[in-house]
Amino acid sequence: MRRGDPTPTSRNLDPSMHPFAKARERKRALNAAKMERMFAQPFVAAFEGHTDAVEVLAKQPESLTTIASASWDGEIILHDLGRREQIARFSGAHRGKISGLCFADEERLLSCGVDRTVKLWRVAEQGESTPEPISVFPGKTVFNSIDHHRTDPLFATASNTVQVWDETKSAPISDLTFPTSTETITSVRFNLSESSVLASIGTDRTFTLYDIRTGKAERRTVMRMRNNALSWSPTFPTSILLASEDHNLYTFDIRSLSTPTQIYKAHVAAVMSCDWSPTGLDFVSGGWDRTVRVWKEGVGRAPEVYHTKRMQRVLSTAFTQDARFVVSGSDDGNVRLWKAKAHEKLGIITARERAAIEYRDTLKDRWKHDQEVGKVHRSRHVPKPVYKAAELKRTMLDAERVKEERRRKHTRAGASVPKAERKKVVLAEQG
Amino acid sequence: MDSLIAKADAIQPVHKRRNNSKRNPAPRNGPSKHAPQTDSTLSSITHQTALPRSLRPSSPLPENAPTHNHVPNKKLRAELSRQSAQSIRRKQLIEDAAELLLVDDAGKMEVEGEMERTWRMTQEEICREAGAEAAKGRREWKLDGGPYRARYTRNGRHIAVMGRKGHVATFDWQTGTLHTELQLQETCRDIAFLHSHTHFAVAQQKHVFVYDQDGVELHKLKSHVEATRLEYLDYHWLLASISTAGHLQYLDATNGQIVAVHQTTRHKLGTPISMTKNPHNAVIHLGHQNGVVSLWTPNLPHPAVRLLAHLGPVQSVSVSIGSQGEGGRYMATAGKDGMVKVWDCRNWKGAVRSWRVRSAGDAEVEFSQRGMLAVASGGSVNVYTKPTLPAPNSPPPLYLTHPITHKPTTSIRFCPFQDILTVGHEKGLSSILVPGAGEPNFDSSEADPFENKRGRREREVKGLLDKIPADMIALDPDFVGSLGPSGTKEPDEGVPFARLPRLQRLKIQGKADETEVDADGGDGEGNDGDGDGAATSKASKEKMKMRGRNKALKRYLRKQRKNVIDPKAIAVRQKLEREREERRKEREKARLGPAAERKPSALDRFASNRR
Repeated sequence: MRRGDPTPTSRNLDPSMHPFAKARERKRALNAAKMERMFAQPFVAAFEGHTDAVEVLAKQPESLTTIASASWDGEIILHDLGRREQIARFSGAHRGKISGLCFADEERLLSCGVDRTVKLWRVAEQGESTPEPISVFPGKTVFNSIDHHRTDPLFATASNTVQVWDETKSAPISDLTFPTSTETITSVRFNLSESSVLASIGTDRTFTLYDIRTGKAERRTVMRMRNNALSWSPTFPTSILLASEDHNLYTFDIRSLSTPTQIYKAHVAAVMSCDWSPTGLDFVSGGWDRTVRVWKEGVGRAPEVYHTKRMQRVLSTAFTQDARFVVSGSDDGNVRLWKAKAHEKLGIITARERAAIEYRDTLKDRWKHDQEVGKVHRSRHVPKPVYKAAELKRTMLDAERVKEERRRKHTRAGASVPKAERKKVVLAEQG
Repeated sequence: MDSLIAKADAIQPVHKRRNNSKRNPAPRNGPSKHAPQTDSTLSSITHQTALPRSLRPSSPLPENAPTHNHVPNKKLRAELSRQSAQSIRRKQLIEDAAELLLVDDAGKMEVEGEMERTWRMTQEEICREAGAEAAKGRREWKLDGGPYRARYTRNGRHIAVMGRKGHVATFDWQTGTLHTELQLQETCRDIAFLHSHTHFAVAQQKHVFVYDQDGVELHKLKSHVEATRLEYLDYHWLLASISTAGHLQYLDATNGQIVAVHQTTRHKLGTPISMTKNPHNAVIHLGHQNGVVSLWTPNLPHPAVRLLAHLGPVQSVSVSIGSQGEGGRYMATAGKDGMVKVWDCRNWKGAVRSWRVRSAGDAEVEFSQRGMLAVASGGSVNVYTKPTLPAPNSPPPLYLTHPITHKPTTSIRFCPFQDILTVGHEKGLSSILVPGAGEPNFDSSEADPFENKRGRREREVKGLLDKIPADMIALDPDFVGSLGPSGTKEPDEGVPFARLPRLQRLKIQGKADETEVDADGGDGEGNDGDGDGAATSKASKEKMKMRGRNKALKRYLRKQRKNVIDPKAIAVRQKLEREREERRKEREKARLGPAAERKPSALDRFASNRR
């Protein structure tokens, strides 16, 4: 053996040579769970610049770092997440708040606002001068949301109506609004896979599906509470995520709109925004309760929760294109960058470190059903108001349940049948 | 819209993906058999990296399985070939297990002729036959101030010796490097290494002291008064000591706090005089003055097990360390009554083996790693093989014997991972060679005899991180990670149905599987007026023993007595009643003789009613 060589090891797998193997492994799992909580520092950076609430965020397609944000003061800022600086700044892009923002393609950005215009901007490194829009599309009513078609030069806007526009024409080319609708549409999104399909949500607690080829609304459901945001899954074309006013998120399979495939419960106030990770396995949501939560698809409880002292109502969230980070825009005018996995180490990881991390992850997964390990693994510290609100909410819901049970106990047998929580969400299906 | 829905069928969530391996079977086991492997790099590492054949998820049919083509019957042929494949697989499994677990029983002395005996070999002959390096283990340390006790570190590299008069030394016996030598000038009773050779504790006249490698006194443990024996629990970092007053104390070696103090004499056990730890589950075994052996854990205020092992004081206790699956399973005790007994720690009903040693007195026992038992008594050390084979009242086969002329022998210790037995006696210590006593294959993640300074530091830190809490010591160390008892608690009144645990919800709905509870649930009510506790304990098991008259019928009746009144049971009960009446009459007749034929009186009705 030369100097510097690793120490030779020998193994004997006989179990009696390894006493307390299980107890020691459990202790190691406990340590791993504690270390995860110790290393959980999700906050990466804050991007200042806006003077009012950041309501919309947009990701540049095929870019890992560029993200656009727009605020209530009518300003659009392009951030470079990697270098942590502003690429471009469109101050006074709209009069009043900007309510919709999306990338038309790599170079162009679409925005709409309460000043009844849609504007198309060129994205480029700019000098001192304030850039002018490439084109302006005047509308008749206030716009609430905008989304661009994936391939064609089309975009859809949401106002009182759902309109489809051509980039080369100054008037909308079609109106898709549901025939009997009198509501305000708050958000529209094109499907990512079947790009002619469009979904919208409205103030009348509706969720509507359109097809721009047929040029009409296909289906509509009325839900118990109105939705604030929607997002199509990038990997499962029929799966859609709705952020609801009733503190929950719902995933629906549009093949059966009567029941959600999963209810995601953790927020203690209305959920204001949501966005899928590009892998389709996670998604992020931001709420009126001043928290950002990162969920796993199909796991309806105990999400990762992020909060800071100065972060106000979270109005917009986005997953970055590499699925490693989460961006949130909040009422306080800041855009914040978070890790998608709170305990992930950024930077170069050596092979040994990687092996240790993987071993710890396996241990945590293996022992998560142990009482002590599981407790450390699950529990999250949340701000006191959120904690109190959750407690209050739980108490109220429990009381409601008890009351319902008592009522059932004292009514004729079979007169009131308990209804599953999933069945309660959708009130009616139309079309 | 329809195109979107059509598209959705092609892709599914990952966890819902169908297992389509059946439809298009992939070529199994990589390259086909016909293409010989020519990659030298691959073939050089396959031996080290490949999973044993038997442990592969689906082992293919063995190549050399006999074909039964001559059998015309299809069914029989299939059965035969299945059986032969199974037996070949079984052999492979055993081979693989032997290879992985290193169960080969080599290194012992073997006899050639029928009249030869291994115990006739003297130490000189063994030393001559053994290699020069192995022969180094044979030593005689002539020291003053005895009798001496010795203790090895877990990796067997370092030894601490302690004379009764206060001579203490620790050294690396292989290189002969002396770490420290102290003359403490007072009575010392025991010595124990802590987590590594850098720290050791000495039970002195009044208190226990902790010294470091250089002999610097680190701690004076005032709470341990007049300690007689010390034990160190490696994985829990606990130093246990017993005192002349009968206290068993656990001290956390990481922070110096007392974890538990048990007053052993309170349980009418007598003063503890010998002590050992069970390396398998960290239970402390104490041998007491009145012949009782008791087992202690820090979290129980009373002994977990107590058994009357000897008719006199229990002089020495040892628990098998046992690689090869015997770890912590057997206990050997030596008493002042001149007996040596081997006990099974899973079943305390009687000793597995017991025999009388030649001279009563200070017998010492010690298990080796490979399951040999050394017994030092009456001027000689005897080493037995296979002491755990059940054969009451006869000594196990004697393997080796060595005379020790300096009485008394106070301690015997096998050196871990070496074939060495160190005997402490009046005039110092003598190490003898016991071929095949130590485990030849060490695991460097647990105890490495070749550990360097960096390795030792690494192990200390890792050991501290993996320190098991003291209250997790239990007789069965495998309770960790196993299922807890099922919750049988009644649901609270205020909890809504949806918030209840699943089992209780099922119970309320009447869907729970309660067969286990029901099987013996009906028995409790039939008991003749015992308390509720007794009824439930009795309900736990229906014994199949035939004890007493007509028990089977009674059991039958008891089973029938489940709130169900059926004519069959009533008939049987009446029959029983009639028989009992007849028996009573016969008894009466026998007692009173023929005079019993008395006239019926009016008072008889009360007598029958009372019955």
